[in-house]
Amino acid sequence: MRARALLAALLLAGAAGAARAADLPTFTLTFKPDGTFEPARLEVPAGRFKIALINDSSEPVEFESIPLRKEKVLGPGVKSFVVITISRPGEYPFFDDFHQQVRGTLVVKPQE
Amino acid sequence: MEQVLFIVWRESVEALLVVGILYSWLRATPEGRRGLPYLWGGVAAGLGLALLLALVLLGVSSWLSDEGQEWFQAGMALAACALVVQMVVWMKRHGRTLKRELEGGARQSVVHDNWWGLLVLVAIAVAREGSETVVFLYGTVSAAQAQSPWLLALAGVAGFAVALLTFWLLQLGGRLITWRRFFRLTEALLLLLAGALLVGGLDHLISLGVLPTLVDPVWDSSWLLDDSIGVGKVLADFAGYRAYPALTSVLCLAAYWLIVWALLRRTDRQAAAAAQPRPATH
Repeated sequence: MRARALLAALLLAGAAGAARAADLPTFTLTFKPDGTFEPARLEVPAGRFKIALINDSSEPVEFESIPLRKEKVLGPGVKSFVVITISRPGEYPFFDDFHQQVRGTLVVKPQE
Repeated sequence: MEQVLFIVWRESVEALLVVGILYSWLRATPEGRRGLPYLWGGVAAGLGLALLLALVLLGVSSWLSDEGQEWFQAGMALAACALVVQMVVWMKRHGRTLKRELEGGARQSVVHDNWWGLLVLVAIAVAREGSETVVFLYGTVSAAQAQSPWLLALAGVAGFAVALLTFWLLQLGGRLITWRRFFRLTEALLLLLAGALLVGGLDHLISLGVLPTLVDPVWDSSWLLDDSIGVGKVLADFAGYRAYPALTSVLCLAAYWLIVWALLRRTDRQAAAAAQPRPATH
C-alpha cells in the first residue's frame, strides 16, 4: 500500500508543478547546428536567474552541469529553460552530455 | 558511433545495476523467486514511463510542464533513495527468515507489500535513465545524415549489449565470490547509489527554490577532484560527490549516512538474535 501511495504522490507532485518562474532575469543559450554553444561564455549576475535553452540543432542535446545542479534533455528543435541559483561569483563549466566536446562556461558576476 | 555506444551503456548501467543486484538477491532463494514477476513487472512499467517521459523531452507531448518535470525528477530520485534503503534493510532482515515467514502465512501481506515497493523501485530506476536513452537514440538515429541510421541503431544495440554484459558479469560475480561477500559489496553499492540519488533529488529541490542552500558553496574542491569529468563524475553519479556542495546537501547526506548506519546496526542485532536458535546454513 505504502509503495502505491508513494507512486500516486509522485504523479501528483509532477502534475502540480505549474509555471511559476516569471519575473527572473533571463538569458538565452542556443545549441547551434554546427555543434557549438551560442554564447560559449554566458555572463550572468549572482543570485537567481533563468536561462532559456534553445536546441537549434537536428540532434537531441543534454544541458548538463553538476556545479550548477542541472541536467536537462532537449529533443531536436525543443525550447525549454532552467532556473539556477548561484550566489558565489566565479566560472562554472557546463556541457552537452550527448556531445561531450561541446563545452561552455557560465560566468557569474558579483551583484552590485 | 562510439559515442552512441558509450552513452547507451552509461545510461543503462545504473538501471541494470539496480535490477541486476535485486535479481541476484531474489534468485538466491526459492522464496525470493516469488518476487521475480514483480521485478519484471517493474522493468515493464519503467519502460512505459520512460517512453512517456521521452515524449515530453522531445516536445511531442506536454503532459508535464518544465517545472513539473523538475518536481517529477526530484520525486523520482528521492523515492528511489528511500526505496533502496528500505530494500537493503528488508533484505538484511528477512533474507534468512523469508522462508519461515512465507510458510507462517501470517506475515504474507508484509512480504507482498515489499514486492510492490520492489516494483516501484525498479520502475523508477529504469524510467530515470531510460527516457534519456530513448530521446538520445531516437534523435540521433532520425538526424543521421552522414552516417547510415542503421549503423547508429546498431551502435545503440551494441551499447545495450555491453550493458547486458555488465549485468551478466554481476551475476557471475555473485557466483565467484561467497554469497555473504557479494551481499556486502552490492549492499554498499546500492547505499552509495541511494546517497547519489538523494543529492540529485536535493539539487532539483534547490533549483525549484523550495530548499534553501544555507551556504553555497560550503567549499570548492574542484582543484582536487572535478565533478564534471573522469573519476569525479563517476563519484558524482554513483556516490553523490560535489565539488561545490551547498551546505543543505552536505547536512542531508551526513544525516542520510547516520540514519543508514543506525538502521543497519539495529537490523544486524535483530538478525543475530533471530539466527541464534537455528545456525545459518548459507
